Amino acid sequence: MRAVTRRTVALTVLAGALVCAAVGVGISLAPMAASRDAAATGTSDTAAPADDVVMTSFPGLVAATGEPELASMTALRPAAGSVAEASGPFDDRFEFDALSFDGATVSGAVRITSDVSDLLELEVVAGFYDVDGTLLGTDRFVHHLGDEVHDGPPVESEAFTIAVPAPLAGRVGAVAVGVPVLVNE
Amino acid sequence: MRHLPLPRRMSSVIASTAVLALVAGAAAVALTGTAASADSSGSSRAKNVIYLLGDGMGRTHVTAARERFVGLDGRLAMETLPAQGFVSTYAVEKLSGQPGAADFHPNAVTDSASAATAWSSGVKTYNAALGIDAKGTVAPTLMELAKKAGYRTGNVSTAEITDATPAGQMSHALARGCQGPVYSAAACQDLAITGTALPTSDVRVTPIAEQIARNGTADVILGGGLGRFDAADETALTAQGYQVLGSITSQKVATKTDLAAANGAKVFGLFNTGNLTVEKSKLDNPTSVQAQEPTLPEMTTKAIALLTAKYKKEKGEKASKGFYLQIEGALIDKRSHANDAAQTLGEMKAFDDAVAVARDFAKKDGNTLVIVTADHECAGFNIIEKGTFTNAQAATPPANADSGNRANSSTPVRPSNAIDPSRSTGIMNGAGSADAKNFAPATFRIPSDPATVTDGSPEAGLWLTYLSGNHTGADVPIYATGPGSDQLQGSVDNTDLFDIMGRALRITG
Repeated sequence: MRAVTRRTVALTVLAGALVCAAVGVGISLAPMAASRDAAATGTSDTAAPADDVVMTSFPGLVAATGEPELASMTALRPAAGSVAEASGPFDDRFEFDALSFDGATVSGAVRITSDVSDLLELEVVAGFYDVDGTLLGTDRFVHHLGDEVHDGPPVESEAFTIAVPAPLAGRVGAVAVGVPVLVNE
Repeated sequence: MRHLPLPRRMSSVIASTAVLALVAGAAAVALTGTAASADSSGSSRAKNVIYLLGDGMGRTHVTAARERFVGLDGRLAMETLPAQGFVSTYAVEKLSGQPGAADFHPNAVTDSASAATAWSSGVKTYNAALGIDAKGTVAPTLMELAKKAGYRTGNVSTAEITDATPAGQMSHALARGCQGPVYSAAACQDLAITGTALPTSDVRVTPIAEQIARNGTADVILGGGLGRFDAADETALTAQGYQVLGSITSQKVATKTDLAAANGAKVFGLFNTGNLTVEKSKLDNPTSVQAQEPTLPEMTTKAIALLTAKYKKEKGEKASKGFYLQIEGALIDKRSHANDAAQTLGEMKAFDDAVAVARDFAKKDGNTLVIVTADHECAGFNIIEKGTFTNAQAATPPANADSGNRANSSTPVRPSNAIDPSRSTGIMNGAGSADAKNFAPATFRIPSDPATVTDGSPEAGLWLTYLSGNHTGADVPIYATGPGSDQLQGSVDNTDLFDIMGRALRITG
């Protein structure tokens, strides 16, 4: 398993720019599988074009412009020295354990309380606040199950540590954590 | 449903569509034997196709459920279907070509995403991919083709509806973890396939929930996973005419009462924020909120009723030719991962009851192809002799060399009988094997046991154990009845199912 704390700073105001490194990689559609035999023999196929079948764009859907944040963080004003929990879409699937903040890092564990045969995706977002409870920025912990082999029984508790981003050093008085991404089965 | 023309640009990383041409070899279905009672009338055309999938259901899952619920001399509903065979399930590595290609790189053990893509789109792909081949090329699904051709469509699962098996028919994604409700680069992008990050507007990195809520691929969507959808998704669904049960916006799950009252041409009902609740838990807690979730056979019954009901057609809508319905018993796999035999058996029973619903409909209808199979086996489920143990529980594994007996002795591949830590975790359950709470071996009474025998006792007739906590590469069973079912007598590959179902509905060649 790969569990990393993303170091590419996710200051709230900058978060949007990171993901949209859009590149000119176009969608290629396979010829309809119905024509596989014809294609195999090099003959032209007469099947309907795949792009008439697959919906590949969604009018009205606003594409993501950054890494996922939690809207609930903007409404929080955690007390100085505290670690608050920001609500998210999967709060009924986990519990936070052992949350702590030492001024430089926030740490704890996400204990999954629903099915855990694999923990595919987990992101913990930390919001960093000044002593007045104003949100200064965020950073995140990312767990992504990639090509790694299983190394034992499924783990229901995933520990995380998120450091205060360098630009915010010395200004953070409180933290909130929440989970915008969780895929476990 | 709106279909927009697409640029047919090819990227440097998604290099070839020729890969699909090479899969043609797999389209030649290997047939062995014939079944006197399977439909071999020569017609492989059906008005309806019901495809039932027991996630993680291996041959032993079927046998264990039979012995548990109908006895050693009984037959489950699926086992009464006349055509029977086995399905190979292997996947391929990322960027692999299709079978027969020079760059073909198989992977012996599939996951649910790769397997779902195999029967849904007819191509081998890498584990985690949905609706694309192993090089990232989008491949149309049977459900999309059926919808386009004028069939009514349904997708039912006991998992989150964004989970791999249902999503395989209704989405195209580089990574199965890109489920929503929000995009995340780690969950959605795969630079090993695309080289550089795709624009977030690309369907392959669009969260699966957002795709399902907008592409109209399935008319009837029943299952779990309400937490994957948000208010914008509900707006998109209602704009397409879906009757949304419960409320996505307020995250109010639908109930079996809501399902019973549903009467729309398009119905979207999710009964849990996550996966549906295992049957054993509902049985143990009959007054719980979760006990209000419908069972898989109840959802199957309703899905068929909705898909066969007469509706006023929308302007421009084609007359329905029939329907294509996929039903997944998802928790067989999930509870097998957990090595929980009691819950696994409960899910097998519910799945087989759903099969009975489909079988009975097909018998009455007379023109429906019913296929029952699995995507892969899970956990090396097995039946062991009463009073015995598994090698994994043995303090001393059996030796491969026996110097005292030439007949049993040969040169072992491995130089030592010691546990290899890179391949074995050692004794997982050895010290705890005497604890009845541990799962292996789990014991269950069977109908022929004396009335005094209880589950969990050493006297129980069914002893079950697991090899691992993950998928295995074993072939899975397949059962079928109806037009074209004779093609499933014998051994086939999972990609062959695309061709067989597609031909039955006349939507593929």
